[in-house]
Amino acid sequence: MMTKAGAFCIFFLLLLFCPAVSHAIPAFSRQYQTSCTTCHLDFPKLNDFGKAFKDAGFKFPIDNESFLKIPPVMLGAPAQKELFPHTVWPGQIPGILPVGLRMNTFFQATSGNRGNFNSLVPPGAVPPFIPKTDFSTGLFSIFTAGNFGDDIAFWVDEDLSIAGDNAAGGLGDGYLKFINLGRVFKLPKDSLSLRAGRFELDLPFTQARSIDISPYDIYGQANIGAVTPGFAQKNVNNQFTLGGGANGLEFSGGRMYGGYHYSIAVVDQNTSGVSQSGNSNGVVPSPTGGANGGVGFASDSNFKDLYGRFSYRFNLERDAASRNGVQAAGASGPRDHTFLNLGTFYFYGRSVQRFSGQDLTGMPVVLTVREPFYRVGGDFSFNYRTFNIYGLIMYGHDTNQLPVDITGTPVPLPVTGAPPPVGFVHGTPASFTGGFVQADYLVLPWVMTIARWDVVNSGEDRINGLSQSTSTPFGLPFRSTRNRFTPGVQFLIHANIKASFEYQFRPQQSVTIITNPITGLPVAIQPFRTNTAVTALEWVF
Amino acid sequence: MKLNNLLTLFIMSVLAAPMCLAGSIKGKVSPGKSVVYLESASGAVTAVTGKKITMDQRGLLFQPHVLVVQAGTTVEFLNSDKVQHNVFWPSISGDKKKSHNLGTWPTGQSKPFQFNEPGVVTLLCNVHPEMAGYIIVSPTPYFTETGADGAYTLASVPDGEYTITAWHEGKKIQSKKITVKGDTTADLTLQ
Ligand SMILES: [Cu+2]
Repeated sequence: MMTKAGAFCIFFLLLLFCPAVSHAIPAFSRQYQTSCTTCHLDFPKLNDFGKAFKDAGFKFPIDNESFLKIPPVMLGAPAQKELFPHTVWPGQIPGILPVGLRMNTFFQATSGNRGNFNSLVPPGAVPPFIPKTDFSTGLFSIFTAGNFGDDIAFWVDEDLSIAGDNAAGGLGDGYLKFINLGRVFKLPKDSLSLRAGRFELDLPFTQARSIDISPYDIYGQANIGAVTPGFAQKNVNNQFTLGGGANGLEFSGGRMYGGYHYSIAVVDQNTSGVSQSGNSNGVVPSPTGGANGGVGFASDSNFKDLYGRFSYRFNLERDAASRNGVQAAGASGPRDHTFLNLGTFYFYGRSVQRFSGQDLTGMPVVLTVREPFYRVGGDFSFNYRTFNIYGLIMYGHDTNQLPVDITGTPVPLPVTGAPPPVGFVHGTPASFTGGFVQADYLVLPWVMTIARWDVVNSGEDRINGLSQSTSTPFGLPFRSTRNRFTPGVQFLIHANIKASFEYQFRPQQSVTIITNPITGLPVAIQPFRTNTAVTALEWVF
Repeated sequence: MKLNNLLTLFIMSVLAAPMCLAGSIKGKVSPGKSVVYLESASGAVTAVTGKKITMDQRGLLFQPHVLVVQAGTTVEFLNSDKVQHNVFWPSISGDKKKSHNLGTWPTGQSKPFQFNEPGVVTLLCNVHPEMAGYIIVSPTPYFTETGADGAYTLASVPDGEYTITAWHEGKKIQSKKITVKGDTTADLTLQ
């Protein structure tokens, strides 16, 4: 059995090392015999041409055939179309296996007061060891993407290993996308496409293909309520995060390099990211049964979650031809548009709770409630030449269904079985707010400078990796704010090799809570600044 | 009348003299597929007027990959691709003061540039860094591209003193003095 301290240590390290999963596509580079920088500014960040290439289904937006240096293999002559339905509709596959590989490796240094975590360890226990400096293997991933002719694109990426551990890898995205489905319904070009499979939600700014070493805090924010009596009790344990992969269908349309863009996705629930049976935290809602037997907080797929996004991008060039082009025509060559992009997004889902309880006749039953929750936010992005500033703000809200006994009185949490719950009432919602602002400036074609600020304000904040700890403000029922300031710089050693450096300032995160003897209110003491310097080397080929 | 005949004879012989005293240079450049041109001993540039030639951008390539022109030639830079390109050269024969950026222009259109200065112009596109093309600007009308085996012939070269230069992509450009008297041979090996 892993100790709390050990588990905590591992969570902490995972948090610090948790690299943003990013992908560039050497498979395309090979087929078109062109450099990464045709589509990327500082891979995997897309330039306007890369966005148009992606919108078109991983193809050059116009006249794709004349750019393909390796001709595709025809799965049926185009003339076969005349025979349809007495023949299989002809398609094609890429002429070479469209495979790219990616590897990265890390080195990090953690500031001296990391040892303040030791106060979390019970007296007599060995404190967790957090090394001051550490080398770490990152991801080895395979990814393949392309298209099967005019109108069907595909993407699969899979982490073969994470941190050197073969078992820890997993599927990233894996989907088939039907481009320009709108044609069938005589809709304007690019107005309707359909994507099916597993994918990152159409986030305002991608997490999976971000240039940053560390992920955006808000995208990893789960919503947890506290069950400590004396506060507004919250029976919420929703492990859904916006940055997580989703399985389902997505309709989308518009263009990412100018004008409107929308998407509407119908996806499976994914609200139970961690095993609840392992939850030993006194203030985090936990299931009633030891081995659960399906009782507790769960995800079930009967209700599909919904995600929608709409954005509009104003290209700000005066000249109409330049404004409407894939890229703007600059005096010394094409460049990305000067633009302002404004968007909004909304996610609606339900997290499932199951409790062992009784019906009104006293018969033991499993009570199930599907608790509505939503995430809503807005985002902006402004670009001038190679300077881009962007950010989003987001609000998360879970209804908080509290179990009640047969008299209608809320059952004290955590639920012990007596009195048995018979139903649920709405309590005080569990919520969080947060977001980030990031500025990127490509000083030289091979030097990217980054400044980023992440903030998350929430009650019961467990995201700091302290999920197994009890006496921290992150598991206590009052709101706390996590700030993080992360300057960074990245160097393209070659178009496919990148050295990245990032320094994470985490001001004023307190580890221990005591009661103020004068006011009687809880106060956080022993602040630490786990400032972390992370260096990454990444190469794709 | 007699005087007239004599004068005519004299003029004819003067005119005929260079023709009679012209030869050719034959030789081999190693490695093959190179460019060879002559420079007069005085270094004077003989510019051509009114000559136009096209350098195309097609399929993310400069086509032709290598173009040899006489000084004074106007090169029409055409964009045949349905993507935007750019054409610039960071220097001419290493002289960064002669760098130039032609900007970008729509599909199907071209932008002219007259090359008056002899030298090697490396064409680049700042959108597609893998794209490269070369324009070799010859100071005289005596230039040619060798065959794949490196063999070349420069015909109708007046007798005299010259510098012969050979260029091959990725190799160090090489020149040597040569005296042309009738049919002459000159082999060059580029490192
Ligand atoms: Cu180009």
